[in-house]
Amino acid sequence: MATKVVVDLRSDTVTKPSEAMRASMAAADVDDDVRGADPTARRFQEEMAALMGKEAALFVPSGTMGNLVSVLAHCDVRGSEVILGDDSHIHLYENGGISTLGGVHPKTVRNNSDGTMDIDSIVAAIRPPGGGLYYPTTRLICLENTHGNSGGKCLSAEYTEKVGEIAKSHGLKLHIDGARIFNASVALGVPVDRLVRAADSVSVCISKGLGAPVGSVIVGSKAFIDKAKILRKTLGGGMRQVGVLCAAAHVAVRDNVGKLADDHRKAKALADGLNKIEQFRVDSASVQTNMVFLDIVDSRISSNKLCQVLGTHNVLASPRSPKRLVLHYQISDDDVQYALTCFKKAAEQLLMGSTELEHLAEQLLMGTTKNSYGQ
Amino acid sequence: MASKVVDLRSDTVTKPSEAMRAAMAAADVDDDVLGADPTAHRFEAEMAAVMGKEAALFVPSGTMGNLISVLVHCDVRGSEAILGDNSHIHVYENGGISTIGGVHPRTVKNNPDGTMDIDKIVAAIRHPDLHYPTTRLICLENTHGNTGGKCLSVEYTDKVGEIAKSHGLKLHIDGARIFNASVALGVPVDRLVKAADSVSVCLSKGLGAPVGSVIVGSKAFIDKARILRKTLGGGMRQVGVLCAAAHVAVRDTVGKLADDHRKAKALAEGLKKIEQITVDSASVETNMVFFEVMDPRISPDKLCQVLEQDNVLALPANSKSIRFVIHYQISDADVGYALACVEVCESLDPFPSFTVIAFDFSCDSTISCFQKAIKELLEGSTELGHSINGATKSSYGH
Repeated sequence: MATKVVVDLRSDTVTKPSEAMRASMAAADVDDDVRGADPTARRFQEEMAALMGKEAALFVPSGTMGNLVSVLAHCDVRGSEVILGDDSHIHLYENGGISTLGGVHPKTVRNNSDGTMDIDSIVAAIRPPGGGLYYPTTRLICLENTHGNSGGKCLSAEYTEKVGEIAKSHGLKLHIDGARIFNASVALGVPVDRLVRAADSVSVCISKGLGAPVGSVIVGSKAFIDKAKILRKTLGGGMRQVGVLCAAAHVAVRDNVGKLADDHRKAKALADGLNKIEQFRVDSASVQTNMVFLDIVDSRISSNKLCQVLGTHNVLASPRSPKRLVLHYQISDDDVQYALTCFKKAAEQLLMGSTELEHLAEQLLMGTTKNSYGQ
Repeated sequence: MASKVVDLRSDTVTKPSEAMRAAMAAADVDDDVLGADPTAHRFEAEMAAVMGKEAALFVPSGTMGNLISVLVHCDVRGSEAILGDNSHIHVYENGGISTIGGVHPRTVKNNPDGTMDIDKIVAAIRHPDLHYPTTRLICLENTHGNTGGKCLSVEYTDKVGEIAKSHGLKLHIDGARIFNASVALGVPVDRLVKAADSVSVCLSKGLGAPVGSVIVGSKAFIDKARILRKTLGGGMRQVGVLCAAAHVAVRDTVGKLADDHRKAKALAEGLKKIEQITVDSASVETNMVFFEVMDPRISPDKLCQVLEQDNVLALPANSKSIRFVIHYQISDADVGYALACVEVCESLDPFPSFTVIAFDFSCDSTISCFQKAIKELLEGSTELGHSINGATKSSYGH
């Protein structure tokens, strides 16, 4: 039976701003950030740069812009190529913007199920400098940590450094799409600045598990951030009294990094609970952070139908297959238990061939998308 | 020294009001990338209705509003857009329509009233040819910033719209300050932009919201715009926090624009009385005043530096003139203070006999700051190079 509670497992992007964030937005000391004058933006950017162990930082409206600005800043010469995972967010879910807007050519390397790319495959993908007549010029390697499509997997500091060495020895830059870098840092027990030390730039989302309403931050050298600032303006991301958003972002970092370990614990609990339901299977060992990938092992249950029925119980999940479930701090332990009960009920209902709920579910799902967009 | 800063650099410096701050804190929000933020929905529907268009889309900046609009209308490679040689899109948006969008610009001379000659627009339209890109779009700017916040009339806009239509082109209006134009002309804003396929409207300038602009157009246009916005990186999550403030801006501040225009006129009239200043006060149509200094020893840069010392912030518009921009957070008293400061600066020459100037302000600190400015100019002080808050010496057309 549906309750008032909605357990939204679609993504950690759905987090709503806390009371503390709302208060900080209302009270923020602001000025025109396009003129470099917003004190709250400056303070937050300095804080993030220090936290990530880089020289400077820049607040941007989204992770997509964070990655786009970074790729374009590193690849500002026409004829550039960037090496990235074939299952990476930049390649799949950012509208191909690095090419359609930035004129940068992608060279994909297969992502392993742990989120890495084989080192020798990366090296093999680097264009030989001598082949200029036929080849673009490789300028950049991109990693993604945690890696979303493989289930929120962590890239270790050692792997990151190995790729950094490759980049350096070939005269390339290294960018990390660190939308969920704090999840990786917490899960690995590695300080975040150490984790990204080898990177020339990192894009970090504040609006996902950390819960801020809007925004990401790019970090890198001062020279890189100076270029990034102009690119941000060019793309239309130069906002005026943006301190209202940076105030909330500051609260997010202050208050919610410490809650990520709990999200990981809840993800494990969800995984273990789902494994107890006959029709579902989760590779529990592969749950490293806040994501659970669910396999439906009973062919009588379709992913779409499961989604619809769960929706009637106010449990929201994306219809993609394998089904991805994402935890965040606004999902409580009780919510996890409730979701598990609903999964069990849904499986039973579907096996009984119950179809009268579909009509109801369709109405409830109006307005939600049916595809995952990798968030 | 007066502690109040009178910031006449632009209307972008407006800070959010208490009502806006409260609205932001209380906003009902959700993930707007998933299309679920109710405050964003409500605000976009409101703006579409106000502008007389089918749909609207909130974006982080006017630059993005224009960039998206041009790129949507010109989504086929090999496109060309006709726009003013002195327009914001062409001069102050990093050439993004080309560097990011691959669209070629074709400029037509902007007249001092902000228009482009109709026959020159027509002459700029490409006919099919092996050598030519394809013209797809005409862009107007209303009010026109670089010519002094000039209004394009509804008749002129309609005429350009006819040209566009008869040649199979689209019409986009950079309406960053379209509400100023609407108020100054006494024409409802939806009527003013009726001929346009799309309009970009700033909420963060004179209307005072902290962040953002809105694009309006047909549903099909906005559907495409939404994807481009995502691609550019403008897809924000719980963006209702910003839309809540934007709603308050439209609700509370459109009605104050006429007052900004009145203050601008008063400022212009006051400047006219200062001997070394020329200003065409008749040409002050909205909230901007451009004035020139006749004395060749006083450059716009120099004057701005000295004014800064008196906490009056302004930007040179070009090598000869200075621009003052009025917004609702500038009071009548501020206008008087600014005039007084300009007068003091102009009444000095490099080797003066000491002059005492009296003002009918009750503020003692005002007199002392003038005396300080006088003292510094007398001493030929060269420490005038500092600037407040990283303000640049050039105008960036905001």
